[in-house]
Amino acid sequence: MAQTTAHRRLLGEYKALSTNPPEGITAGPVSEDDMFVWEALIQGPEGTPFEGGIFPAELKFPRDYPLAPPKMTFLGEIFHPNVYTNGVVCISILHPPGDDPNQYEHASERWSPIQSVEKILISVMSMLAEPNDESPANIEAAKMWRENRADYEQRVRDGVRRMLGL
Amino acid sequence: MADEQVSLTSLVLIVVLGGLVIRYLFFPSSAAGPEAYRGRDSAASSRAREAAVERIQQMFPQLDRRAILWELQRSGGNMAATTERILSGRMETPPVTFQPPPPPRSTTPSSTSQTAKAPLRPAEPDLITRYKLQDKINYDSGSSSSVAGQESAVPGTKTKAWSSNRDERQTAFQRRRDEMILAARRKMEAKIAAEKAAASGKE
Repeated sequence: MAQTTAHRRLLGEYKALSTNPPEGITAGPVSEDDMFVWEALIQGPEGTPFEGGIFPAELKFPRDYPLAPPKMTFLGEIFHPNVYTNGVVCISILHPPGDDPNQYEHASERWSPIQSVEKILISVMSMLAEPNDESPANIEAAKMWRENRADYEQRVRDGVRRMLGL
Repeated sequence: MADEQVSLTSLVLIVVLGGLVIRYLFFPSSAAGPEAYRGRDSAASSRAREAAVERIQQMFPQLDRRAILWELQRSGGNMAATTERILSGRMETPPVTFQPPPPPRSTTPSSTSQTAKAPLRPAEPDLITRYKLQDKINYDSGSSSSVAGQESAVPGTKTKAWSSNRDERQTAFQRRRDEMILAARRKMEAKIAAEKAAASGKE
C-alpha cells in the first residue's frame, strides 16, 4: 500500500534526523499520530542577517510521498525574497520535475524520491543565505534585497529578534 | 444448481444496474446536455463554473474573468468548446449588459497558485509564545543547563538517542526543539546586552 510506504519512509527519515541531526536543524512529526505533518526549526545561517534566528516551518507530506514533494510553509514572520508573505517557500527542490512554473530550473534541482527532508531543509537554509533573484515570491523583499541591501538586512534582523520574543 | 443460476442472473443484474448508476452519477452532462448544467442547484453550478473559469484562466492568464465567463455561457458551460474557441481566436467581447456573478469569497484553495496568492495571515506569535516557553525562559536564565539537566536525568537518553517508545521519541523531539529555541534566545540576549554595553561605553 502506498500509504504504508510513505509512512515507513517518513519514519526512517525521522529516525535519521533524530539520531544524526544536521547542524542547525530540528525536524520531526508534530505528533506521530499523523506522520504526514511535520514541523521543523531552521537556524539562521551564520554570517547572514538571519544569524541567531530560529525559523519554524511546517512540512505537509502528500500521501504518495516520496513520489511527490512535501509543501513547506514558514510559520512565523520571515522576510525573504523566496518566501511568500503567507509563509509558503518557493524553492526548486520542492517542485516536482514535471511541474516547472518558471521554466528555468534543472531537473536535477527539483524534487525526486532520492531527495529527502534533510536535503530540503539544508537547501532552505542555504536559500536564506543566498536568495534566488530569479524567482521572487515576496516582491517587496526581492526589491529591497536588490536595491537597498542595508534596509533589507536591518528588517531581517529585527524580525529575528521579534521571533525570539526579544 | 438452481441456486447457482439465480445468483448468476442477479449478479448480471447488479453489474448492469451498477453500470447505469455510475453512468448517471459521473457522466450526467453527456446525457442531459447544457440545460441540465444550468438547471442544477445554484451552489453546485457556481462551483463548477468557478472551477472551469480557474482552469481556463490558468491556460490563458491574459484573459479576464468576464470574457471567460461570457465564452463559457455561450458554449453552455462546455470547457472544451470554450478553450477551442479561445485558441482559434473566435472569442467575442462580452456585451455591456453581461453582468457576471462576482467571484466567490476565498474558497478552499485548489491549486498552488491560489495558495501563493493567499492574503497575509495575522501576525504570528513569537517562538516563546508558540511553544509556551515563558516559564522556561525565567528559570533558565541563571544556569543554562537546568532544563536539560532536569529532564534528561536518565543516563543514556542524551538528545540524539532514538527510543523505541514513541512517547519518549516525542518528548525527546520536543526537548530538542525547546532547547534550540532557548539557546538561540540566550545567545541573542547576550548579544543585545553586549551591544547595549558597547553603546553606553561610547557615551
